[in-house]
Amino acid sequence: MSDLLEVTARSVTGTQACQKLRQEGHVPAVLYGHGETCVDLSVRRDAVEAMVRHGSKTVELTGAVKSPALVRELQWNAYGTIPLHIDFLRIDPSEKINVVVPIELRGECPGAKAGGKFKQVLREIDVECTAQTMPEVAVAHVAHLEAGNVLKVKHLELPQGAHATADDEAVVASCLLSDQKLEDATDIGTKATESNDE
Amino acid sequence: MPLMPKRVKHRKSQRGRIKGEATRGNRVIFGEFGLQAEQPGWLPAATIEAGRIAAQQYLRGGGRLYIRVFPHKSITSIPLETRMGKGKGEPDFWAAVIRPGTVLFEIGGVTEDVAKVCFARLAHKMPVRVRMVKKRTM
Repeated sequence: MSDLLEVTARSVTGTQACQKLRQEGHVPAVLYGHGETCVDLSVRRDAVEAMVRHGSKTVELTGAVKSPALVRELQWNAYGTIPLHIDFLRIDPSEKINVVVPIELRGECPGAKAGGKFKQVLREIDVECTAQTMPEVAVAHVAHLEAGNVLKVKHLELPQGAHATADDEAVVASCLLSDQKLEDATDIGTKATESNDE
Repeated sequence: MPLMPKRVKHRKSQRGRIKGEATRGNRVIFGEFGLQAEQPGWLPAATIEAGRIAAQQYLRGGGRLYIRVFPHKSITSIPLETRMGKGKGEPDFWAAVIRPGTVLFEIGGVTEDVAKVCFARLAHKMPVRVRMVKKRTM
């Protein structure tokens, strides 16, 4: 999802000037990247809070600067309630970028109900994608995770054009039986009892 | 057994002042939900242990609890009915220095409802006002 964010150019820099801006309901920001000059900007705080609520990592800057940008860093106050500063990175819609995406578990793990111990190993993952195909979350479907199975990076659901840079065999979530080691667990979709029968 | 340092350079420390807000340790890192202090104060090791027990008895192995603070500071006291003077008292307990914004505990692997109840039980033990926070992705 890409939000429209109206920005205004900022001529003043420094701690005191930025504090004054924040008191007026603005958030100081900076835009850089692609070898172009660094631009000091300011954004209305309510617009920033809306952007955070929507979970948009890419935004379309309008106003003083017209450019698609990636929210590279967002600084918060000590309580994590007030945004203090934003770093925007210029992006080309077709350019490949690396972003960290949270992993979202979907469904209920049947293995946990059958006596297995469910554990989420990875909580976020590095994804290489274009700005257009950037996912909000990487979805892990645990509805087929039986006791004795593991869910790996290769099982994650990512949109077309995005792929995880981590090892495909890295474990995302596991549902192990008691006294079972992670190495002995089988991939999702294969029953642990089948291997014992053989 | 409450937490305490293995070895310290100086047994006794001055009281100090708690100024400003937490500039580090103020984000949820390991779990999905955290308990954040809203006031400054000392958090005794026994209180951290009481909180840990309260949370783990509720979770019963269902989730994972992370303790984000450590009692590095020794607090001294003089015995009752002692005349003034004769030097500083002996170390009585260990405490963590809490600045507003510090994340004290974190919980991972549970739903928000479970974390909420767990932190409510834990918050009763805390000597400072606290609130529940979620992990931020941005």
